[in-house]
Amino acid sequence: MSVPDYMQCAEDHQTLLVVVQPVGIVSEENFFRIYKRISSVSQISVRDSQRVLYIRYRHHYPPENNEWGDFQTHRKVVGLITITDCFSAKDWPQTFEKFHVQKEIYGSTLYDSRLFVFGLQGEITEQPRTDVAFYPNYEDCEAVEKRIEDFIESLFIVLESKRLDRATDKSGDKIPLLCVPFEKKDFVGLDTDSRHYKKRCQGRMRKHVGDLCLQAGMLQDSLVHYHMSVELLRSVNDFLWLGAALEGLCSASVICHYPGGTGGKTGARRFQGSSLPAEAANRHRPGAQEVLIDPGALTTNGINPDTSAEIGRAKNCLSPEDIIDKYKEAISYYSKYKNAGVIELEACVKAVRVLAIQKRSMDASEFLQNAVYINLRQLSEEEKIQRYSILSELYELIGFHRKSAFFKRVAAMQCVAPSISEPGWRACYKLLLETLPGYSLSLDPKDFSRGTHRGWAAVQMRLLHELVYASRRMGNPALSVRHLSFLLQTMLDFLSDQEKKDVTQSLENYTCKCPGTMELLTLPGGPTLPPVPFTKLPIVRRVKLLNLPTSLRPQKMKSLLGQNVSTKSPFIYSPIIAHNRGEERNKKIDFQWVQGDVCEVQLMVYNPMPFELRVENMGLLTSGVDFESLPAALSLPAESGLYPVTLVGVPQTTGMITVNGYHTTVFGVFSDCLLDNLPGVKTSGSTVEVIPALPRLQISTSLPRSAHSLQPSSGDEISTNVSVQLYNGEAQQLVIQLENIGTEPLETLEVTSRLLTTKEKLYGDFLSWNLEETLAQFPLQPGKVATFVVNIKVKLDFSCQENLLQDLSDDGISVSGFPLCSPFRQVVRPRVESKPVNAPEGGKPGDPSHMKTLEAILNFKYSGGPGHAEGYYRNLSLGLHVEAEPSVFFTRVTTLPATSTRQCHLLLDIFNSTEHELTVSARGNEELILHAGECQRLAVVRRAEGETWLCRTKHCAD
Amino acid sequence: MAVCVAVIAKENYPLYIRSAPTENELKFHYMVHTSLDVVDEKISAMGKALVDQRELYLGLLYPTEDYKVYGYVTNSKVKFVMVVDSSNTALRDNEIRSMFRKLHNSYTDVMCNPFYNPGDRIQSRAFDSMVTSMMIQVC
Repeated sequence: MSVPDYMQCAEDHQTLLVVVQPVGIVSEENFFRIYKRISSVSQISVRDSQRVLYIRYRHHYPPENNEWGDFQTHRKVVGLITITDCFSAKDWPQTFEKFHVQKEIYGSTLYDSRLFVFGLQGEITEQPRTDVAFYPNYEDCEAVEKRIEDFIESLFIVLESKRLDRATDKSGDKIPLLCVPFEKKDFVGLDTDSRHYKKRCQGRMRKHVGDLCLQAGMLQDSLVHYHMSVELLRSVNDFLWLGAALEGLCSASVICHYPGGTGGKTGARRFQGSSLPAEAANRHRPGAQEVLIDPGALTTNGINPDTSAEIGRAKNCLSPEDIIDKYKEAISYYSKYKNAGVIELEACVKAVRVLAIQKRSMDASEFLQNAVYINLRQLSEEEKIQRYSILSELYELIGFHRKSAFFKRVAAMQCVAPSISEPGWRACYKLLLETLPGYSLSLDPKDFSRGTHRGWAAVQMRLLHELVYASRRMGNPALSVRHLSFLLQTMLDFLSDQEKKDVTQSLENYTCKCPGTMELLTLPGGPTLPPVPFTKLPIVRRVKLLNLPTSLRPQKMKSLLGQNVSTKSPFIYSPIIAHNRGEERNKKIDFQWVQGDVCEVQLMVYNPMPFELRVENMGLLTSGVDFESLPAALSLPAESGLYPVTLVGVPQTTGMITVNGYHTTVFGVFSDCLLDNLPGVKTSGSTVEVIPALPRLQISTSLPRSAHSLQPSSGDEISTNVSVQLYNGEAQQLVIQLENIGTEPLETLEVTSRLLTTKEKLYGDFLSWNLEETLAQFPLQPGKVATFVVNIKVKLDFSCQENLLQDLSDDGISVSGFPLCSPFRQVVRPRVESKPVNAPEGGKPGDPSHMKTLEAILNFKYSGGPGHAEGYYRNLSLGLHVEAEPSVFFTRVTTLPATSTRQCHLLLDIFNSTEHELTVSARGNEELILHAGECQRLAVVRRAEGETWLCRTKHCAD
Repeated sequence: MAVCVAVIAKENYPLYIRSAPTENELKFHYMVHTSLDVVDEKISAMGKALVDQRELYLGLLYPTEDYKVYGYVTNSKVKFVMVVDSSNTALRDNEIRSMFRKLHNSYTDVMCNPFYNPGDRIQSRAFDSMVTSMMIQVC
């Protein structure tokens, strides 16, 4: 006995073993079709009695196990069914011969046998034979089940006769000594007449009768026999058989207590197909044992020598606790015999199954622990795998998932042991996959994205490495890439720097042959491997959608905006709507992107790896709108801090666009990282409206760009700044080139200006323009240029700065009392860079303190294309920075009495501080030409009190 | 005397594990990991009835050929597992008990550290040296 049957369970003790085998050449498919039909007849209630027979079918059974049939009768092959193909009558004798040969193998123990012949037709089939059945083919054989039932009944008759025979001849003839194969030589020459020997024979026979009773469906009788056998054998210290008797007792009790069965799959079978299920259930209910005393069975069939045992029927059955004790005892007896290893092992397995039902995991684990150490002979690799697998299964059964996973992994490793010439990497991989739950590892990275890491990282990592290796050896690089990616993604925190390097190195090696994808991989067994996006390579901390630059930002026409709101709700305010809006606002961002324009999203990323991380093909994943993502490649330094990355793209259609995530290629693995799955990402909303395309305007001016940047009050930004330096009174033209650099025609243009410095008193129009000429060129097609002219005039009041006046006054007239204000001066000077160097002492007109600054913003509101139809426009601002210098100074003011008392002469000494020629004109006077640096006196007749006078300087051509 | 000492969080991941023969560390990982099955079983067997007077010491979890694995569980379900050489017969139940008590005290000290984040790996030097002392002691 060397081949353990790990699938055995306690209730197998009540079964009759029938071997079903093919003879000759029978295709496997056909054989198993018939085998399946045969094995469906597993339970027969014997007519005339309420007893039930259970049959266990095997298509393979080692004959050496059969030799232990006397020890435990359920190991004995009592029936043989042979299946054969035979197509011509000529082959028939030969086939029949083969059947007899087959019978010989189990011959000593067989009660009966059957031969099923398929394919044969003709007169041979006409002969009525009980042991042969003919069927024309494998389809046409409805009577198979019926045949089997008859066959089993014939088995029962033999069994019953044997049982009665053994049970009655107790005191008559000499009882033969039953023994197991390895005992035979021990008993040679033993005194067969001694009491000791007789008792031994009696005990063993009792046990044997108990087995037969159990098989024959007489549970209570078997219990009685087992009890007696235990008594007898204990007194003669026949340990092996004592163990068997105890085990028999346990089996019978288990059958009594757990009618559902302990073997799992057999449990379902037990009641199904039974003609008396209700009765069967009654029979086995522990509390209803009185029913078991079946008077009919006892009087008609049960020639029971120990009628006295009836009294103790209920007691005969062991309590659940006792079952385990007795199992323990039995196993301890078995363990005394090296040759009974298989029996011991099987007993352990059976006990574990019982304990699993009883939910006594701790005890079960002790049995299993013992089973691990039972040393059978040198096992073949296949047997080792089988053994480890079954250990794993049993541990699983008692809820020890980790232990189960451990043994499964050992079994997997055994599949590819170096001693095996053809390592079974597939089997290894399959077994490894089955261990995953035991290590609380799932291959879905989503399970790891939230919260802390679950499970034991060190062992999980080991398992993943093994999966990678196994899948590689299996020749499935896609799988290894997937597993390796998973390892890197989920175990990143636990990998040492060196391991990180190694893993990425091997990942790169794999991916150059088979790039990692985002597809679901289907495993051979059916389960799928979800994709593994590298959300940690690099780690993204913040995602921010950026508004367009100010000059490109679309704006809604005011009137249309009002409409928009009103269509939403008829109410000005409603709390419900407000609530909804609030939620919406969380997600939606209140700016717009424009179709056809480059839009930006800023990510703050960092590299957790101890080496430079190259991220290629990094782009945005969006939905809602066709979006052309323009991928970027970046290289992040080792363990970088937060690093801003801007991803860009162009929306191609309009609507609501949602940025769902980003995609990367790292180490040759494509990843689609969705923001929803990223832990710890700050995002300020990811949905933005894309409005229809708008034109783009670019302006260039005739004036140089300014280094000054205006500080606008209202927050609007200025795209271009120009500056110019003018003398007070000077006028200049600013030529602005308007170029449509977009793709849509520019249809409308509005120009407004806004003066920023308001504290200066300004006379006249500072900026003036004529838009009609420009608008005449509209609509401006893409790429076309239009010009627009703005006139700048500077007329400022510099009066308070004229300190020269005091310095130069020589006639002692106080000027402080004079309500003196500077006249309007107009200077038109195209060249401004030169400053007056020959200014007189005391005053430097070019000094910044004498200069005044004027700042203004020119706003170009423009629109066109589909965006215009939707009511959007763009605003482009031009900043204008004008520095005004004073041009003339009044150095002295004196009065002279005139001819009339009502008049006086006002004498003004005018100094030209510029280096250009000036014309000064006062009302009613002739023009006065002033050369650069010259000072002249101008006389004005003052006619009446309170009347103003004017002095005007005029441009003088240089 | 202890060959391997492990502290395992309530969620069954290791907070601390150290083994004396460092060359085959993974073996001890597996050993401690599988012992958790028994720990779980023992905890669930104890039930909730006697929470206050529960014995924290779980006793021998399981013996292997070369080692014995002992367990201890705190009231907050943090598990301590200790692997000792089975050839070392000087170690009785009482010694193991006192070692666990020492371990528990030291662990409590670690938890008292305001800078320690519960659930993180234990990196305390004091704890480490205490474990070292338990490992080399006697031998």
